[in-house]
Amino acid sequence: MNLNLAAFERFAVKFQKGDIIFVEYEPGDSFYLIQSGRVQISKIMGNIEKTLDILYPGEIFGEMAILEEAPRSANAIALDNVKALEFNRANFEILMRGNPAIALKLLKLFTKRIYDQRRRFMILTLEDVQARVMDVFLMLAETDASGQQEGEKHEFKTTIEDIAHWAGLPTEKCKEVINHFINQHRIEVEPDKIIVKNLNEFARFVNSRRKSIGM
Amino acid sequence: MAPKAMTFKANSVIYFKGDISDKIYILKSGKVSMSSEDIETGQEVRDLIQTGEFFGVKSALGRYPREESALVLNDAEVLQFTVPEFEQFIGQNTRVIMKMLKVFSNQLRRIHARVSSLLVTEEKTDPESGLFGIGQYYFSKKMYAEAVYVFRRYLTYYPSGKFAKEAANKLSLAEQYAQKYGQGKGPSISISDDSSSAPMHQTTSRQELSNVGKAYYNAVSLFGQNQFQEALDEFKNIAEQKKDEEYTVKALFEMGRCYFQLNQYDMAIRHFTSLIQKYPKLPDLREALFYIGQSYAGKNEADRAMGFYTKILSMTTDTDPIQRKVKQAIRLLEEKPR
Repeated sequence: MNLNLAAFERFAVKFQKGDIIFVEYEPGDSFYLIQSGRVQISKIMGNIEKTLDILYPGEIFGEMAILEEAPRSANAIALDNVKALEFNRANFEILMRGNPAIALKLLKLFTKRIYDQRRRFMILTLEDVQARVMDVFLMLAETDASGQQEGEKHEFKTTIEDIAHWAGLPTEKCKEVINHFINQHRIEVEPDKIIVKNLNEFARFVNSRRKSIGM
Repeated sequence: MAPKAMTFKANSVIYFKGDISDKIYILKSGKVSMSSEDIETGQEVRDLIQTGEFFGVKSALGRYPREESALVLNDAEVLQFTVPEFEQFIGQNTRVIMKMLKVFSNQLRRIHARVSSLLVTEEKTDPESGLFGIGQYYFSKKMYAEAVYVFRRYLTYYPSGKFAKEAANKLSLAEQYAQKYGQGKGPSISISDDSSSAPMHQTTSRQELSNVGKAYYNAVSLFGQNQFQEALDEFKNIAEQKKDEEYTVKALFEMGRCYFQLNQYDMAIRHFTSLIQKYPKLPDLREALFYIGQSYAGKNEADRAMGFYTKILSMTTDTDPIQRKVKQAIRLLEEKPR
């Protein structure tokens, strides 16, 4: 992407490796475009800090701040020495006008966020907890960019805590459901991955539990 | 490359919900309606496209299935863009992007609100307690630099907040400990019981497990603890009650596994064979065959075992996990002196 950013040098900010850029719940009125270094996005869940994403130069974070002055929804921490451009609602329009490429990037980011949220919503509307957990696997398979998995069996590089988060269930409850599936030989849990033996079967079950769609 | 002008007759469909496509359209004339299902109620929602309006943008850009069908009500003229053509087009029209960003951000805000309304299990923390809680977390993990940052931010935003005094105390403690012990070291600190560290409240399962289900999982758990005879008795009970077809079949299947684990190979073979005859569409058919094969192996009838193993291999593909197990079993058979 050809970005004309020389004119934006005045918006540049620098962070040392390990610096906190912002933490969850802080009020946020700016968003960042990484120019160099990596940024780790994390969230404290219970008694652990969980990495949600690692972002590279050219990527945007904190973008929800341009929507509204909502508190930050996660922590952003500099993983290397980081240089970023910092924008707020006031200079946002100037940036976009001069750099349609960034605007486009943001547009794409929003489409992804909308899709993710819609998908998440559909999981949460399932009343049957087993169906919910199954639907999380279906969602993860849909968003698996590698596209290398075909057929009934799928491997997921995920954890029960992740699944619980997406399913909106307490981890204990989620573990219970997963244990049922293990006993039924529908899934296998290994330290670094979860294997679903027949994803099509999950899809059929979830569809049968989804109310009124297609009726 | 240029966008393609296309015409659609009334009552035709430009694309269907669920289609995957990289095409984006702009309506030049005519009448097009977007038909989708509300993600909560499943009810049909229809929206008319305005002349000059883009449609199909999100799914094309995000490369996910169409969320709506585009139905032509009156003969329509449209321009069809590929994603690169669209990018080039709006790249010169920042005004259009800005407008779309506003539309999208509105949609995002709405869906966000709907998701949060369903997340009843996740405790809603107010930002003030939340921020203080993060400071506490870092402090308890002896991550003093982070704790100092967060307590300072807290005191900036909430100079007379409900945790202000505590935050000031912890801030100076964190600074001292960082000096005295260094990052990651120092006395262990337990977070006092305040609202920010309260555990998520439990939700009860919305669907209570039936009694049969409970009995079944109880038996499964016995099996898991290698108490095969006890498990067998339980499964037998469930199977004989015949209350719930699903659990009856499952229990019958598990009985076979118990026989196998108890080294009662003849029983296992007889049991699984009759099960397969009775339920030809048994979901775990391949597993059942595998147990029969293993039972024959257990009886030192290698040829018959091999027969079942090769049968399973012919029913499965390389990616089936059972293949690995079967191949391993075959290797064992071949290594065994006859």
